[in-house]
Amino acid sequence: MNRVPWLTLMIVLPIGGAMLLQLVPARMTSVIRGVTVVFATAVTCIAGGLLFNLPHMAASGTQPLSLAFQEQRDWIPAISASYHLGLDGLSGWLVMLNSGLFLVAALAVSRSDAERLRRYCALMLVSEGAIAGTLLAADLLLFYLFWEGMLIPLYFILSGFGGPRRGQATLKFIVYTIAGSLLMLVAILWLYFASGAHSFDLESLIINPPPAQSVMVIPGINVSTFTPQDLVFIGFAIAFAIKLPLVPFHTWLPELYVQSPATTLVFFAGIVGKMGAYGFIRYGLTLFPSSINTFKWLFAALAVTGIIYGALMALSERDIKRILAYASLSHLGFIALGIFTLTTNGISGAIIQMVNHGIIIAALFLIAGYIERRTGTRDLSEMAGLEKRMPWLYVLFLVATLASLGMPGTNSFVGEFAVMLGAFQLGWPLAVVALGGTVIACWYMLRLHQGLMHDPLKPATEHVHDIRLSEGLVLAPLVALIILLGVFPKPVGDIASPAASQYVSLASQPVAPPSFGT
Amino acid sequence: MLAQSAPLVPLVTPSANDLLDLLPELIVGFGFIALMLLDLVVGRQRWWLAVAAIVFLAAGFGASVWGWFDSGNGHTLYFGSFAYDKFSMFINCVLLFSSALVILISPHYLNRRGIHHGEYYALILAATLGMMLLAGAMSLMVIFLGIEGLSLSLYILSGFSRTEERSQEAALKYLLLGGFASGFLLYGMALVYGETGHTQLQQIGAALHSTTQADPMLLAGVVLIFVGFAFKASLVPFHTWTPDVYQGAPTSVTTFMSVTTKVAAFAVIVRVFTYTFVSLYSHWEVIVAVVAIASIVVGNVAALTQTHVKRMLAYSSIAQAGYILIGVAVGTLSNTSSSITGTTGVLYYLAAYAVTQIGAFAVITIMAGRGEDLDSYDGLRGLAYRRPFVAAAMGLFLLSLGGFPPTVGFFGKFFVFAAAVNANLTLLALWGIAGSAISVFYYLRVALLMYQRPKDEQQEYPWSRTTIAGGTALLAAAAGTLVFGILVAVVFNGAQAAQNAILPAIASTR
Repeated sequence: MNRVPWLTLMIVLPIGGAMLLQLVPARMTSVIRGVTVVFATAVTCIAGGLLFNLPHMAASGTQPLSLAFQEQRDWIPAISASYHLGLDGLSGWLVMLNSGLFLVAALAVSRSDAERLRRYCALMLVSEGAIAGTLLAADLLLFYLFWEGMLIPLYFILSGFGGPRRGQATLKFIVYTIAGSLLMLVAILWLYFASGAHSFDLESLIINPPPAQSVMVIPGINVSTFTPQDLVFIGFAIAFAIKLPLVPFHTWLPELYVQSPATTLVFFAGIVGKMGAYGFIRYGLTLFPSSINTFKWLFAALAVTGIIYGALMALSERDIKRILAYASLSHLGFIALGIFTLTTNGISGAIIQMVNHGIIIAALFLIAGYIERRTGTRDLSEMAGLEKRMPWLYVLFLVATLASLGMPGTNSFVGEFAVMLGAFQLGWPLAVVALGGTVIACWYMLRLHQGLMHDPLKPATEHVHDIRLSEGLVLAPLVALIILLGVFPKPVGDIASPAASQYVSLASQPVAPPSFGT
Repeated sequence: MLAQSAPLVPLVTPSANDLLDLLPELIVGFGFIALMLLDLVVGRQRWWLAVAAIVFLAAGFGASVWGWFDSGNGHTLYFGSFAYDKFSMFINCVLLFSSALVILISPHYLNRRGIHHGEYYALILAATLGMMLLAGAMSLMVIFLGIEGLSLSLYILSGFSRTEERSQEAALKYLLLGGFASGFLLYGMALVYGETGHTQLQQIGAALHSTTQADPMLLAGVVLIFVGFAFKASLVPFHTWTPDVYQGAPTSVTTFMSVTTKVAAFAVIVRVFTYTFVSLYSHWEVIVAVVAIASIVVGNVAALTQTHVKRMLAYSSIAQAGYILIGVAVGTLSNTSSSITGTTGVLYYLAAYAVTQIGAFAVITIMAGRGEDLDSYDGLRGLAYRRPFVAAAMGLFLLSLGGFPPTVGFFGKFFVFAAAVNANLTLLALWGIAGSAISVFYYLRVALLMYQRPKDEQQEYPWSRTTIAGGTALLAAAAGTLVFGILVAVVFNGAQAAQNAILPAIASTR
């Protein structure tokens, strides 16, 4: 019924835009920026249109995922891998976030490095296409293709643009990620061969799961305590946990965030950081229902550890980007906690919070970038009193700060509240500890905001000027969304909740009795 | 086991059909002779030789494609000593395509290095002929003929830069170690012949099939044959010549030998081990698996510390050979009805490796300075600013070698590792994966260097201009790398058909 391959367009358009950019002479920076913005806008419009129509699309038939706007073509018929794309409430919102954040990044892209502007814009568009592909793929091989392919443009962006020690930070990230995703590749292969379907298609793998008792031989490792599915799930989980990142796998994050420019962080922290969470919901919950029930306590505990650890680290840092990086880690812990509650509340909260966090962190990193560019420092102790010099930024920053600490009336309250509900359903101690994280969040965010904005001026902040109109226009929509989604969260919830309950029902298994009461 | 003496082959003239089925080999062989004669005619206009060589290779390619469709389920020629099947035609196509690309990049490079001699083209064709013989060999004699045919040509080619010490050293090293390898191979063949009484692979397979216990002498023969092949495929621990020879030989020759020799060597390894020695699988599986792991580890770790692209690619090609060998170690094992088998994986990987590796070396060839190669990492810095398209192509090849999707290199690894998982050799796949994770370091390092700012803006850069022929070769390799990484089914179906139609058609017991 839909003749236009909208989903393919969302992948192909940005990549086509990147190719088109190669034809523009590198000197014509305005044209380059224009082309980038036009393509990013086009994709955003498509994503918005699809999202708007998503609730009206009848859930299609017997398929377990009820994907809308499906496209399916043969790709490698001999091994039944197909080019299968689909959109549901989860991927719908993330695709929207993806295109929106790249549009913001395209608008915010710095003019200072004119010589390499074309390369940066092209790489940005390619990343957008690859991320869209990751979110839309409904075939494991295709998913892997985009998941890994996404690293190519990201590598060149992260290692080519940013602070002096970006090379090392990028290498750490890439090697971490590749190690994880290659493990996932083996896991995918095992699933393929163990499942009766011999297919890479996600839906047919859900319908025909591998038999529970199949034998996997790994010499030298005692596998008797876990079923093969558990081991394969761990292969997936490590890949996703590194990308998310969950706490023991997070070490690449702070340094990389510090070294990257604000424009990169808009989409890198905003959407790339959500891919792990997306993977857990889309693949972890659907393909390994029994394993995820086995491991949910472990992962929920890791998530809560991340919340507290990130918050404490944020409290102890003086570098504003580092504070934001750890704050981001803490908030990603909330998203992870929501997922591993395996309740409708928790998961819809996680989906809502992914969108919210993407918006907030993009705004915060842009603000940090603006401040750093004007004062020449990121050290909190060298700055103060910016409210006198930057009144406009003060207002926008205040809203983003309040949103970040979960103030009612901002979007983040809605998501965190739902996550907390889910956490209480799973076990109240988790929720209590997580609540402790939000208390610390108030502390470090207000410390950051007050330290930067109040008190008498210091030498570094003496001669700064307020943000320009163009910068304000980039920030304003983000801040507007923060308030809008805070007071009127229904549209997000309406689309996220059915998707969440669907994933919960797919993950529902006879649950082992919880170790402590709710 | 003492076999009866082999029935004497009746000495009759082969039929015309046999001759016709040998058309690709005949064309290339005729081309070799024709080029030798043509060299006397063309004088200083040596590029005519390149044109003629490409015409012959293209004709051979056409004949191979025709043979692909004509051979059906395959049969043997010349009383069972040569195969006419889709497997050899697949390998022929890869070989001839690779050789043609090498010829395309050669004239300019040889001119710049001042070693443009006419016999170069004839020798390339001679070596190609030897490799094609290996691809179709169904008899130990033909295998030896093929190995020596390609080796003798490559000994000369690697020392082609007569005045340069490095090149001389490379040639000598290759000659001495290659001679040893041939000795091992011959000894192994003699032992196998002594045990089975046959030189024809099909008869050897049948003889082995009927035995239950393997004689130590036979196993020694099998191992020695493997050693001989492993030298040619530069597998650890028989790889020591590789870096020096690859670096010392003229780059166009390195391009040629690093790709085609491996393709041919793996073709014959698959035919001999996966299919002929199939009943001894439990004996050679471990050896092959250990060699594969050793190659992956040594190749990748050594490549990490290199500072010259040619040498880095040499070590990385050892690791690549290790990945391919995983496909051999899988053998014909398959736990499921899936169509992903070791041989399919090997064939796909060989095609992927050929197109990618040729591309990567072609970039070094195209960038050659006057009289010397400019392949140090520092020399590549800032390439993207001067030669954006060459740098983009090189980036693509490096990503493909590193196994990033959506390039053909990813699917090469994917199919080989998939075959290993399918055969319950998950541990082997995990080794391969650990190796690929390491390899990302050094491939991306070079890729990133090309995209860094040149150190000194004023400095005259010595890179030569890209010629039309070189650009064509680069474009063909880049297109192959990318297109076959997306339209995977084309090559995969070919590899599968080749695997299904491979001779010897002894019923597999596994």
